[in-house]
Amino acid sequence: MSGVENIEPFTDGFVSALCPELVLFAGLILLIIIPNLGKGTVRIPGTQTRVMWLFGGDRFKLTSNPRLPAWIATITLGAAFVLTMLSFQDGVDRAAIVTDSGKQLMLVNGFSRVFELIFFGALTLAAFASMNRLEVRGIGPKLSTNDLYNNRRQADFYILMLTCALGMSVVALAQDLFVLFIGLELASFSTYVLVAFYKETKAGTEAGMKYFIVGSVASGVGLYGLSMLYLWAGSLQFDVLASQFVINGTDPLPLIGIGFVLVGFGFKVSAAPFHFAAPDAYAGASSPIAGILATASKAMGIIGLLRMLLIVAAPEASEDGTVWLTLLGILSLVTMTWGNIAALGSTNPKRMLAYSSVAHAGYMLAAITAIGAWNWDDSLAGDGGESAVAVLTALIFHLVVLVAFKLGAFLVLSILESDGDASRLSSLGGLAKREPFLAVAMFIFMISLAGVPPLAGFVSKLLVIMGIVKVAIGQMGAEIVAGGDLGLADVHWVWWLAFAMVINSAISMYYYLRIGVVMFFEEAEEGRSGPLPVGWQVRFAILACLMATLFMGVASDKLLEICEVAAQSLNYGWN
Amino acid sequence: MAGTGSNAIIDSEMMQFAPLIILLPMLAFPVILFLGRVFNRNPFWKDTMKEGGIIALVVMAASLIISLLLIKDHIGGFAGIKDSVDFLWLNSSVYNGGSLEPISFGFGIYIDHVTVMLLFVASFLCLLINIFSIGYMNTDPINDNRNHRFYAEFVLFCSGMLGMVLADSFLWLFIFWEIMGLCSYLLIGFYYEKPSAAYAAKKAFLTTRVGDVFLMIGLVMMWDLFGSLDYAVVFDEANIAAVAAESSGTLQWALGMMFIGAVGKSAQFPLHVWLPDAMEGPTPVSALIHAATMVNAGLYLVARMFPFFGAEALHNDLVDLAFIIALIGGITAVMAAAIAFVQHDLKKVLAYSTMSQLAYIFTGLGCAMFLANTLDWHNDDGAHYIVIVAFGAALFHLFNHAMAKGMLFMASGSVIHEVHHAHHHLHHHDHHDDEHHGHDDHHEDEFDAQSMENMGGLASKMPLTATAMLVGSASIMGLPFIGGFWSKEGIIANAWRVALEDPRFFIPAICVLVGAGMTGFYMSRMWLKTFAGKPKTEVAAHVGPTNTWIKIPLFVLTFVSLSAVLFAGMGFTHWAPDSEYGLMSEKSLIDGIVYEMNHAFANSDAFFFILTYIAIAIGAILGPGIALSLYGGKLAEGEKVKPWMKPIIRLNSWVFDRFHFDNKSLANSGLSKALANRLYFDHYYDLAMLKLVAGFSDKSAETDKNVVDGVIKKIESGSQSISKVVRSMTTGSARDYILMVSVGALAIFFLLWGVA
Repeated sequence: MSGVENIEPFTDGFVSALCPELVLFAGLILLIIIPNLGKGTVRIPGTQTRVMWLFGGDRFKLTSNPRLPAWIATITLGAAFVLTMLSFQDGVDRAAIVTDSGKQLMLVNGFSRVFELIFFGALTLAAFASMNRLEVRGIGPKLSTNDLYNNRRQADFYILMLTCALGMSVVALAQDLFVLFIGLELASFSTYVLVAFYKETKAGTEAGMKYFIVGSVASGVGLYGLSMLYLWAGSLQFDVLASQFVINGTDPLPLIGIGFVLVGFGFKVSAAPFHFAAPDAYAGASSPIAGILATASKAMGIIGLLRMLLIVAAPEASEDGTVWLTLLGILSLVTMTWGNIAALGSTNPKRMLAYSSVAHAGYMLAAITAIGAWNWDDSLAGDGGESAVAVLTALIFHLVVLVAFKLGAFLVLSILESDGDASRLSSLGGLAKREPFLAVAMFIFMISLAGVPPLAGFVSKLLVIMGIVKVAIGQMGAEIVAGGDLGLADVHWVWWLAFAMVINSAISMYYYLRIGVVMFFEEAEEGRSGPLPVGWQVRFAILACLMATLFMGVASDKLLEICEVAAQSLNYGWN
Repeated sequence: MAGTGSNAIIDSEMMQFAPLIILLPMLAFPVILFLGRVFNRNPFWKDTMKEGGIIALVVMAASLIISLLLIKDHIGGFAGIKDSVDFLWLNSSVYNGGSLEPISFGFGIYIDHVTVMLLFVASFLCLLINIFSIGYMNTDPINDNRNHRFYAEFVLFCSGMLGMVLADSFLWLFIFWEIMGLCSYLLIGFYYEKPSAAYAAKKAFLTTRVGDVFLMIGLVMMWDLFGSLDYAVVFDEANIAAVAAESSGTLQWALGMMFIGAVGKSAQFPLHVWLPDAMEGPTPVSALIHAATMVNAGLYLVARMFPFFGAEALHNDLVDLAFIIALIGGITAVMAAAIAFVQHDLKKVLAYSTMSQLAYIFTGLGCAMFLANTLDWHNDDGAHYIVIVAFGAALFHLFNHAMAKGMLFMASGSVIHEVHHAHHHLHHHDHHDDEHHGHDDHHEDEFDAQSMENMGGLASKMPLTATAMLVGSASIMGLPFIGGFWSKEGIIANAWRVALEDPRFFIPAICVLVGAGMTGFYMSRMWLKTFAGKPKTEVAAHVGPTNTWIKIPLFVLTFVSLSAVLFAGMGFTHWAPDSEYGLMSEKSLIDGIVYEMNHAFANSDAFFFILTYIAIAIGAILGPGIALSLYGGKLAEGEKVKPWMKPIIRLNSWVFDRFHFDNKSLANSGLSKALANRLYFDHYYDLAMLKLVAGFSDKSAETDKNVVDGVIKKIESGSQSISKVVRSMTTGSARDYILMVSVGALAIFFLLWGVA
C-alpha cells in the first residue's frame, strides 16, 4: 500500500481528498435550511421588539417554490458527480483518512471513486427525473395547509436522497467495520423511507414496511457477524483483520462471522434466498427509487462483499477458502436461476425488473466467485493477478453501465406511473404509438439488459463471461495452445458458472423481448391511448441513459481503463 | 509493382481528413431525416432548403473537395497505405497456430490508383446526381413533403459507396457494400405504396443478396487462408506466396465466390434480373444511382483482386477464374444488348445498355487478369506494358461509362420529366378540372412518360438534353474520338490478344466485337426514336426546355465525355493501374494525344490495325446505319435544331428515305418476343422459386409449426409453471421473508460450522 497519503480529519488535504462528500454534506445543510427561509421574526425576550431572523414564518417567493429542493439536490449530486469525475483527470488521489492514533478509517482511491461515480450518477438522474414524478400541488405563497404540507414533503424526499448518497459513499470509502456499518445503515434507512414515501398508497407503505423489517433482520445478522469478527480479532480495521486471517483464518468464529456478514450484504444485492422483500419493495416504491435500489444500492452491497470476502477473508491461497468458494458458487447459481425463472412469468414490469435484478446479482456473484477461485486456488493464480483484475474490471464495468439501462428502464416506467399505472404488462401497451421515443428507449434498455450487441449490456456481460473463463482456464491456456490434450473436466468448475450465465441469458431474452412485443404490437389499455404526461426532466434523464447505453457499447475503452484502475486499486497485491 | 508492397507510403496531409469523406454524408443522414421530420411543410425548409437537398449538396460538395485534394496528392505519386483512423470496437485474442494473436476490428483508409479513380467517379457523380435531384425531385408534386427521406437515403448511399472505395480491408468493404444494398432497397422502393416499386425493391434486394452470400463465403474462406482481411495483409506478396504454397486452389475458389458477389452487384448474367426492375422504381434518380454508381462496386471488387492475379507466387494458377470473369462478361454483353433492341422504355434501354457495358469492363478485367497471371510481367518490360494497358483500358472504360451513362440517365430523366410535365399541362387544359391536380393524378393516368413510343422530334425542343444524349450515346457506342472509343478499342484489342494465346477466350472476344455493333444499333435507335423524326404524340409536340438544376450536370458531363481524349492523352490508361509506370504529367498533352491517335488508328501490328478498323466499321457504321434506316426521319415542319445536330438529322432523313425497309417480320418473330420478355429469365427464376423454394418453405413451415413450435410451446408452458411455483414462494408476508433469510443464514452457519 505504497503512496498513500495519511490525512487526519480537518487537517491539510482533508478537504481536497473528500471534496465530493463535503459538497454533499453542504448541499444537505442547504437543503434543510433554504426551504425554511422566510419572513420569520423573533421577539427579544423581555421586550416587545420583534427582530427579523429570516427563519420560518411566511416563506419568500423563491424559497416557497416546491421545485427548489429538487434543483438543489440535483445540482449537489451533479456537482459531486463532476468532482468525482475530475479526480480521475490527473490520476486518482490515494489518500487515507486516519485517526490521530494512526488507524485507517477511509481510503480514497480509484476503487472507491468509481463506485462513487455509480452512486452519484444514479442518484443525480433519479433526483432529476423525480421532478416529474413527485406531484406538486400549486406554486406560490398562498396555499392551503394541505398543499403546503404536501410541498414540504418535497424537501424531505430530496434530503433522504442526499443522505442516501452520503451513506453510500461512506461505504465505498470505509476501511473499518464501524465506518462501513455507519455508512451502510445511513444509506439503508434512507432507502427504507424512500420506498415508503408514497404513504397515500397502500402498496408503497406496505412495501416500505416489509423492506424495513426484513432489511433490519438482515442487518442485525450482519451486525452480529461484525461483532464476532471484532471479538475474534480485537480490531475493526480491515488490514488488521486481513492479517489475522492469514494466521488463523480457519477458526470457526471468523468464518461464521463472515458468513453472517454475507447475509447482511446478500440482502443488499438481493441474492437468493435473501431477496424476497426486493420484488415487493421495487413494485411498491416509485420507479426512480426502485431504479436506485437496483443500481446504486446493489453496487453498495457488492462493495461490501468485495471488501469482506476478497480483502478481509481472502489472504492468498488459504487452504479452507474452498468452502467459501462452494458457498458463493451455489449462491450465485441459485440466485441467477431463481431470478430468471421468477421473471419469466411475472406480469408486473416492475416486479419483472426486480427479478431481473436478482438474476444480475447472480451474475455478479459468479464474478466474485471467479476472483475467489483465482485467489484461493494455487493452480489458477499464476498470472500475477491479471485474470483476477480482468474479472473485477468486468464486474465494475457491469455495475457502471447497469446504471444506464436499468435505471433508464425504471425511468420509462416512472412516466407511465405518472400516467396512472405501471403495474401491469399491458400498461406498456401501445407505447410505440403514444410516444415512440420512450418505446424505442425502453426496447434498447431491454435488449441491453439481455445482452445484445452492440449495446453496453453486451460488452459488460461478455467481459464478465470472458473473465470467468479466463480464470477457469488459468494456466491451462498455455498448455492448450501447446497442443495439450485437455478437456472440460480439467478446467476449474467456475467455468460452469460462465456456462450457467450463458444459459440464463438465453432464458432472460424471453421476458425482455416480451416488453418489446407489448410496446410495439399491442394496443394501449382502455382509456390510456392519449399522450403521456409532459416533463422534460425525466425524458432528458432517459435520453442520457440511452446515449450512455449506446455509447458504452461501441466506445468503452475509456471507461474500461477507469474500471481497470479501480480494480487494481482494490488490492494492490495483485499488481 | 501494381498496388502491392513495393510502393512507399505517401505522406499526404489530406490523409487525416480522408475519413470525413465518408463521415460527412453519414452524419448528414440522421440530420436530414430529423430536420425533415421536424420542419416538414415549413416554407423555408421546402423552398430554400429544398427539403434537405441543400444540406446534401453541401455535404457532397465537401466530400468531393476533400476527395479532390486527396487525389491531387496522389496524382503524380504512387500507391500508399496508411491508417488514418483507428476506431476499435472489441479487442480480443485468437489462438492461431500455437500463439495468441490479438485481433481487433479497426478502420483505416487505403489508397491506390484504383481507389483514386473510383473515388473521383463516385464523389463527382454523387454531387452531380445531387444537383440533378434538386431539379428533378423537388419540382414533382408527388414528392412533396417526403423529399427529405430521399435525400437522407441518398447521402447514406453515397457514404456507403465512398466508404467501400476507401476502406482498407475486405471486411469494411463488405460492411459498406451492405449499407449500399440497404439504401438501394430503400431508394428503389421510395414510392413504397406502389406495388411495382415495392416488388422491384424486394427483387433487387434479394437478387443481390444471393451474390452477397457468396461474397461472404468468399471472405470467410479468405479469412481462413490469411487470418485477416486487411489489404495490407492479404496483398502482401510474402503472405500470398505462403498461401499459394499451401492451397492456391482454395484461394481461387475464395476469389471465385467473391466474384459471384460482384456479379450480383453489377447485374451480370445470371444475376442480372434486378437491374431492369430497379428502373421501374419511379425515380430516374434512383435508377441513375444504380446504373451509374452502385454497379461499379462489383467492378471495383474485381479490380481489387488484381494483386492476387499479379502475384508471382500464383503464376498461371488463376487462369480459369480469369476466363470465367471474361466469359460472364462476354455473354452478358451480347445478351443485354440483344434485349435492349426491343425495349420501348427509355430507361430500360439504358439499363440493359448498362449491363452490356459493365460486361465489357468485366471482359476487359478478365483479360487483364489473364495477362497478369500468365505473363512474366514483373521482369519483362514489354509484358509489363501489356498488362498495364489491358488493366488500364478496363478501368478507363469504367470511367468513361460512368460519366456517359450518368449523363444519359440524367438526360433521359430530363426528357421524362418534361414529357410528364407536358402531359400534365395538356391534361389540365383538356379537363379544366382542378381536382386532377394532385397525387392521385399520377396513379390514374395511363400515359407512359417513359415510353419512346410517346416521344420523337424532341431534338429541337430540348437542345441541351439532345446534345448531351447524343454525346453520351456516341461515347457508349465508341464513335471515334469520343469518350468510350478510347477504352472500348483497348478492351476489344486485349480480348483478341488473349484469344490468340488461349483459344477459350475466343468466345468473349467474338462477343465483345459483335456487341460493339449491337451497341451501335440500340443506342442509335434510342436517340433517333426520342429526338429525331416527327412527334409521335400530341404530348411530345408540347415539351419545353428543362430547368437549371438539371442543365448543370448535363453540361458538365457532356464536357467530361468529350474531353476523354485529353484523359487518354495524359496517359490515363497507364496511370489508372500503376502510376509508377505512367505518370499523368510525364509527357506533354499534345504528344500524348498524338501517341494515342497513332496507337488507335495506325497500329504498327497488322492484326490489331485490321481489328481496330473492323471494330470501328461494325460499331460506328453498321450498327448505327441499320438504326438510321429504321427509325427517325425528318423533323416536323418549321422545327430548327442546333447547328451541330443538323448533319445527324440530315443524314438520318437521307438514310431513312432511301434505305428504309420493313422489319415487321423480324419484329414479330419468336426471337423478338423472347427478347421482349427478357429471354424468360424472370419467368424461369420465378418458376424455380415456386417449385423449389416454395415447396421447401411449405415443408419448413409445417415442421416449424408442429415440431419446433411444439417443443418451444412445451418449454414455454413448462417454464411458466415452474416460474409460478417459484413466484408463489414470494408470499407477500414479511414473516415468510424473514423465515427465508433465517433459513439461509442457518444454512450458511451450519455449513461453515461443519467445515470449521
